[in-house]
Amino acid sequence: MRVARALAELRRLGRPALVPYVMVDRARRRTWEATARALRAGGASAVELGFPFSDPIADGPVLEAAAERALAHGTTWADLLAALDRFAPVLPTAVMTYANPVWRHGLEPAFADLRAHGATALVVPDLSFEESAPWRTAARVASVDLALLAAPVTGAARTVRLARATRGFLYLVARYGTTGRGAASRPAELARLVQVAHGAAPRTSVLVGFGVRDRASAVAALATGADGVIVGSALEERFARSEPLERTARWLGSLVS
Amino acid sequence: MGRRFGPYGGAYVPETLVPALDELASEWRTARSEPSFRAELRRYSTTLGGRPTPLYFAERLTRRAGGAEIWLKREDLVHGGAHKFNNALGQGLLARRMGKPRVIAETGAGQHGVASAMIGAALGLDTVVYMGEVDMARQRPNVDRMRLLGARVVPVRSGSRTLKDAINAALRDWITNVRTTHYLLGSAVGPHPFPSIVAELQSVIGREIRTQSRRAFGRLPDLAVACVGGGSNAIGTFHPLRNTGVELLGVEAGGPARSRVGAASLTRGRPGILHGAYTYVLSDADGQVRETESLSAGLDYAGVGPEHAWLRDTGRARYVAVHDDDALRAFRWLAEDEGILPALEPAHAVFAAVRAARRRPRTQHVVVTLSGRGDKDLEVVTRAGRARAR
Repeated sequence: MRVARALAELRRLGRPALVPYVMVDRARRRTWEATARALRAGGASAVELGFPFSDPIADGPVLEAAAERALAHGTTWADLLAALDRFAPVLPTAVMTYANPVWRHGLEPAFADLRAHGATALVVPDLSFEESAPWRTAARVASVDLALLAAPVTGAARTVRLARATRGFLYLVARYGTTGRGAASRPAELARLVQVAHGAAPRTSVLVGFGVRDRASAVAALATGADGVIVGSALEERFARSEPLERTARWLGSLVS
Repeated sequence: MGRRFGPYGGAYVPETLVPALDELASEWRTARSEPSFRAELRRYSTTLGGRPTPLYFAERLTRRAGGAEIWLKREDLVHGGAHKFNNALGQGLLARRMGKPRVIAETGAGQHGVASAMIGAALGLDTVVYMGEVDMARQRPNVDRMRLLGARVVPVRSGSRTLKDAINAALRDWITNVRTTHYLLGSAVGPHPFPSIVAELQSVIGREIRTQSRRAFGRLPDLAVACVGGGSNAIGTFHPLRNTGVELLGVEAGGPARSRVGAASLTRGRPGILHGAYTYVLSDADGQVRETESLSAGLDYAGVGPEHAWLRDTGRARYVAVHDDDALRAFRWLAEDEGILPALEPAHAVFAAVRAARRRPRTQHVVVTLSGRGDKDLEVVTRAGRARAR
């Protein structure tokens, strides 16, 4: 199922979306299938697979270290496609990576690869709206949703533009800062952004990420009126210490239950 | 001030930085045409910075080359020992105008860090400098200087622990503290409007070359040579000369003789996206940015300013790579022939200039921008000398 459709169904049911972020690391390739199933059992609505980049400027220490490890293990684009083959049959799957890896493969071939292996959405944290036009075209041709990001600095007029131009969902960055630990911006500030986005694009889900790491932060994120949360660094910490998958999945599910 | 140089440039950044870059662009547009801002820039740059810097006829070096006359644009004499002052001053004044009490900077060789620390002190700005651990070890004198000037130096331990990773760390800091902080980017790289701002602030180099060469030898030089890491002293040299007949030669770091890529993004890389700009990048088939190799910390960078990418493609400037050993050779020539210890970065340019001068008639003039002085490199140079003696 497409990420966008899964999110739409949850909205109709009035249930929050729960989207775990998993860094693709070649060294963990034998656990991908089990991870996908465990995450689904734990209540994941979709999954975001991270393709590591050497210079992840939007990431905090946890995901930066995870990317560095994954690259040291020799993770390549082919591994991303192999991971998609394992995850996409189990969960609606998005990919998150930086601009250069996608650019280097060529926009059209890269989007075609992603779609052929089951990804239905792509998030590129260093692709500003201003530079996104050719990317949105290539994504549309391949039938991949290019999800744009908004942040607490984004003004109302710009939020309207982003909400209308994004596909799949709008990724709302919860605060000033990189991924991982740290407090969210003022709830009222985020709630206003969510409201503006919903007003501009009523059928587009808003997912909150950056700093969602426990039940309290997940509840606070959803209290802004957002449709779901993305959980990355806190989950990666659990993967990194090889916690049993079932326990990790139970923890994930407890964030929004 | 356009966003792009041909297809290159742009602003590939997280959403959080977009408003800050917009603010910077509009502040710069206003400030640069304001007489009071220009007067202040001029006052500091003459009375604190020591501008204008001289254009020096390197007579004995010219004799060694045995061809065209070689002239040195003495940016090594700018306050702090490098051209970096020109940019740090302008951006420091901008930060103060924007009401940002804190500036952050990245540094490779430490020259931009020192310049930022000096300007931070002179303008009363809280200054934090990110520097890769590898660079801190090989450019220790500059670390001490920054600290004495009141800056906080933060070691960067991720990735290759050099300039590229220092820029990553500075960008992360900026994303987190953008409301109170100006990112005082030190080279003509990064997202729009940085490449344009840095080019304009460094253009003082090329403007002075224009007037000084007319005064010294009655016309413009035939060739202008400058080293290129990110490319700020080169773009400052080239910009005011780009609509003249002067040939432009940029010199990248070729690294050790056995190195496949060195740090030569323009001569050995291909177009990609790094640190907010579309430009030439040294990356692998998956777009992972390569670890670069150069004896000179200031040139040891996998990207390059986007305007250089365009000058390269259009053929308006030519770019070559010079190996570590040749840069060391040029260092000694300049020391022994002219009594000048250059930084290792412009030593690359000096080597290429001597080689070019040799092939040209005595009636021609070659100007090399000597972007910094070599005190910071004495340890690296003496160690390389000992290694060779063994």
